Amino acid sequence: MIRIENISRTYSRDGVPVTALREATFNIDAGDLVVIRGVSGSGKSTLLNILGCLDSPSSGTYLLDGADVSHKSDAELSRIRSQKIGFIFQSFNLLPRTTAIENVELPMIYADREISRSRAAAMLARVGLAHRERHFATELSGGEQQRVAIARALINDPALILADEPTGNLDESAGAGVMGLLHDLNDEGRTIVLVTHDDAVASHARRVLMIRDGVLRESEVKA
Amino acid sequence: MNVLHFFRSIVRTLSRNKVRAMLMMAGVTIGIASLTILTSIGESTRRETMKRFKNMLGTFDTVIIRPGSSKNRGMVSLTNVEPSLKFDDATAIATQVPEIRQLAQVQNALDIDVRYRDRSGTPAIFGVSSNWLELRGDEVAEAEFFSEDDVRSLARVAILGADAQKHLFPDEDSIGKTIRIGDVPFIVRGVMVARGAGPAGGSLDNLIFIPVTTASKRLFNRDFLTMLIAQLKDPDQGQLAIEHIQTLLRARHHLAPGALDDFNVTNPRAVMAQVTTTGTTIRKLLLIVAILATGIGGIVIMSVTLIGVSERRKEIGVRRAVGASRNAILAQFLLEAVLLSLAGGIVGIALGIGGTQVVSRLQRLPFLLQPEAVLAATLLSIGLGLLFGVYPAWRAAMTNPIDALRD
Repeated sequence: MIRIENISRTYSRDGVPVTALREATFNIDAGDLVVIRGVSGSGKSTLLNILGCLDSPSSGTYLLDGADVSHKSDAELSRIRSQKIGFIFQSFNLLPRTTAIENVELPMIYADREISRSRAAAMLARVGLAHRERHFATELSGGEQQRVAIARALINDPALILADEPTGNLDESAGAGVMGLLHDLNDEGRTIVLVTHDDAVASHARRVLMIRDGVLRESEVKA
Repeated sequence: MNVLHFFRSIVRTLSRNKVRAMLMMAGVTIGIASLTILTSIGESTRRETMKRFKNMLGTFDTVIIRPGSSKNRGMVSLTNVEPSLKFDDATAIATQVPEIRQLAQVQNALDIDVRYRDRSGTPAIFGVSSNWLELRGDEVAEAEFFSEDDVRSLARVAILGADAQKHLFPDEDSIGKTIRIGDVPFIVRGVMVARGAGPAGGSLDNLIFIPVTTASKRLFNRDFLTMLIAQLKDPDQGQLAIEHIQTLLRARHHLAPGALDDFNVTNPRAVMAQVTTTGTTIRKLLLIVAILATGIGGIVIMSVTLIGVSERRKEIGVRRAVGASRNAILAQFLLEAVLLSLAGGIVGIALGIGGTQVVSRLQRLPFLLQPEAVLAATLLSIGLGLLFGVYPAWRAAMTNPIDALRD
């Protein structure tokens, strides 16, 4: 489903070129759960941003569902994000002064599709928050906020879910709940790419990609 | 993009940031309100001034010839004019100046005692020719005006202005009664319809008309006129008529080249145009203040939106991540600014209409609401939102979502 060939990403920082990602090559099959590990600054966020079509590679090719998305316009990349990709962030990133269900509806505004409140409500029920529809982000616990964020990521039915440290700001039990949810989604056949420091989280993954100083290597493939 | 839902989410965002929204609206509200009041009051002042001039002059298709080289301010009368304008001059102008349709002769005086039994007053006495009604467009409320025969026969007949009639005959019919103007008895022949206020706001109805010949020979014993009112065939030929009248009168008065005129000719249309445009210096100043206030309102929108853009970087990042393009972000922030500005404008228009009513009542002007002014204010507030919203919206659109999400 994802084919990455010789992708590099070079930034200019204060006029000095910095290579955040160097000649990465790998595939991700549909239905995979792939963990990306690496210390901070290693380039894993850069990789995630490229996978999520928020950033474009300086060189190399990124094929998503067979289509080359390496060098698309802002409007085309936005359309791909809206249709194919769901983001989950470490700090949840729910919109302030906006209710749980309105947060879940947000991606539908930017997709060319009917806004369906019942669909958003069903998605909230799916993550176990049917009773929290009208609550504002500030009235929800961390675990609940992250579940709302997962419902938001799922609302446009994306093929690929990108989660950046989804349990990093959660206590153990809330983190376990969120991970359970992600595993359920994976079991349903959704492709998930997960960035994490957490060994326990990583231990559940069938594939782990290690990244160090912008260089990627396959760490293990479990049977 | 789902436009309807996009729009609704923007309204929701604004309604959940009420303090910010009201702060942003305030400047536009004040500016639009003062602009609405100023334009409405300005226009009704202009129309009222015009109406009062019309009250005084009757028609604008005239030129006025008065004796004396200086342009007398205020009301002329027998006591303050040179004796240079004669009856023969009037006849000459009426017959020899081609632009003139007809000419009214006036010999008037102030401070003449008028009595009826034990009541007395000092209305202005106007000796006029019998074409006065036709030339002025005035109307008689009771009975009739005097005729050409009355003028020829020096008849002692009087037509009372509405106020003079009320003063002398508070409780009884005046027609056919004998009043004394000075020491001369006159029979009341008719009563005029009230004309209302003049340019200075005073009454134009405290006066009595008598035949100009009677005034000259039986009352004042003066052979000169205080004013001639010449009606033009074509209202646009005022200047040409003035030149012909000047040439004719200078010849008749044997004035040497270079000598000053011993008369003056004015065109009420020109005078009124001057009056309605001058006297508005204060208005212009207030208008500048109002425009400044509106501009400041726009700048408030811009700065608060800019603050909003940096406060809402994370929101911008999230929206971009879930599929918003740069254009969608631009549209969102621009629409927020336009909606706020429009809302501020609408409140401003409402306050402006209320304010106009208060000011009109205080200044005793008719309340006047121009639909064009309301439309212009609405468009102006939309324009302000666009003008001052576009830069913050562009900044929002250019926000790098990766940086914004990392913050």
